[in-house]
Amino acid sequence: MKKKKAIKIKDVTISIPIFIVLVILALLVLVPIIWMTLSAFKPEKEIISWPPTFVPQSLTVENFVDVQDRINILRYMLNSVIYAGGTTLLAVIVNSMAGYAYAFYDFKGKTGLFLMTLATMMVPFQVIMVPLFLVVFKLGMYDSYWGLIIPRVAVAGSIFMMRAAFSGIPKELAEAARIDGLSEMGIFWRIMMPQVKPAAITLIILSINGSWNDLLWPMIVTSKTQMRTLANGLALFIGQNTIEYGAAFAGALISLLPMFILYMVGQKYFVEGMASAGLKG
Amino acid sequence: MKKMIKYWNKPSRSAYLFLAPSVILLILFSVVPLIIAFGLSLFDVSITMDSACFIGLENFAEAFQDSRFINSLKVTAIFTGLEVPLQVLGALVVAALIAKNNIKNKIFRAVYFLPVICSATAIGIMWKMILHSNIGFVTAALQSMGLGKINFLNTPGLTIFVVSFISIWRSFGISAIIYVTAIQQVSASLYEAAEMDGAGKIRQFWHITAPSIRPTFWYILMTRFAGALQIFDIIYITTNGGPNYTTESTVTYIYSRAFSSRSSMGYASAMSVILFAIIMVVTVLMYHKMNQED
Repeated sequence: MKKKKAIKIKDVTISIPIFIVLVILALLVLVPIIWMTLSAFKPEKEIISWPPTFVPQSLTVENFVDVQDRINILRYMLNSVIYAGGTTLLAVIVNSMAGYAYAFYDFKGKTGLFLMTLATMMVPFQVIMVPLFLVVFKLGMYDSYWGLIIPRVAVAGSIFMMRAAFSGIPKELAEAARIDGLSEMGIFWRIMMPQVKPAAITLIILSINGSWNDLLWPMIVTSKTQMRTLANGLALFIGQNTIEYGAAFAGALISLLPMFILYMVGQKYFVEGMASAGLKG
Repeated sequence: MKKMIKYWNKPSRSAYLFLAPSVILLILFSVVPLIIAFGLSLFDVSITMDSACFIGLENFAEAFQDSRFINSLKVTAIFTGLEVPLQVLGALVVAALIAKNNIKNKIFRAVYFLPVICSATAIGIMWKMILHSNIGFVTAALQSMGLGKINFLNTPGLTIFVVSFISIWRSFGISAIIYVTAIQQVSASLYEAAEMDGAGKIRQFWHITAPSIRPTFWYILMTRFAGALQIFDIIYITTNGGPNYTTESTVTYIYSRAFSSRSSMGYASAMSVILFAIIMVVTVLMYHKMNQED
């Protein structure tokens, strides 16, 4: 009895310092985000006062009006929605179809195509950005939504994730549906897709997040102001060495909010998807 | 029409229909650009592409005499050397502390993961403001502690550390979560046996946890390495390579040579090919080392 108690006390003396370290780390993550959020509601005069405040002394929404006046942030947001939405919709369809084919069909050239897909994973995006720009330019898709979306649809990692999900389904299910007279497309769409819902949701969430936050690609394939997305529009705004701090805070907050909401709704999918599909960036 | 549907409905044939979109897209936007990158590196081409002239390996020769390119390789090496070890080991320690499933740890995990979903743009703006010499509250806090007014994002020698810190801040959560997943898969019976032998928590970590999650460790190390060698977005937002090129990474330099007024697509491609070779060599070496260990 006595021994057990001793161990407990020892555990507590270790776990309190650990807890403090973990709390400090959490504050290191949260405090900057909170400061930025609060600052977005401070009047410009308070933002530039020295020393800076943490809690706002007076609240205002003028920064949000300012950022709209200065860079038409609503238009950027619309572009981000179109880019993220379009890429995600097509990515789910295209990558699921491919994953399904690799999991369920035997055909000539399967190994070759599979290896080619695998090889594309080894090609770092930053290495091919210059020729990728040329390809998009030559296809006449420069400065268009198509140019933003189409090259980003097929992703080897997503194909493998969907293939793994489909591999868990017994082949008899497809056979039974075939006997019932369903077409191959019908089997895939009506029988198989509902079976892999968690993987599909993970793909959707990661794809929305990835394209919403994407900076480099929109910068490469668009130049017109009205084609800018939130990520690259704000980057260019801040890059002009802006002194409109309030507008910058407001813009950054606007760009983060949809992802915070998505994270609250689909935390499980974020974590599982990123932990299994691998690291980005 | 009906005949055609029937023809393609045979499983072995419809497989090609299912694969066609992804294969075409991957060839067009991954395989072809990679081939072009190698080809382009042998030419002198401007962004308008109205003239292309074959110059052999001249672009590569130029790169190795270009002090800005050499400097960018150095910056990338320093950044990688700071970012990767700190992140890979730091995240492992944190993961070990929050691996157990309880409410407290789940909250910590949710918080640490938060920066992972944020864009580099928003994070960059945020840290740029926090460390700003005129409005930043960290700057003010350190000044009130008597450390003087530090210009974090505009001091040669210091700024590269700041940029590395921001990059770690952004992504240590994802590394930690991947470790947590791996640690949780280690069989509980191993720990029970160690407990009976009287091994303490730290010894358990070294002798049971660490060897069991070695594949995950290598996976994170390799992906982080490849990612760090391609660092662009955080630098672009916070410093754009400044001050005085002390944070100009290789990709930042490639980007500016490819898409700015002094644009040279051929030269940018040659530098990309060199970077690709470096990434490949590092990855292969690590892969080799990993297999040796097992």
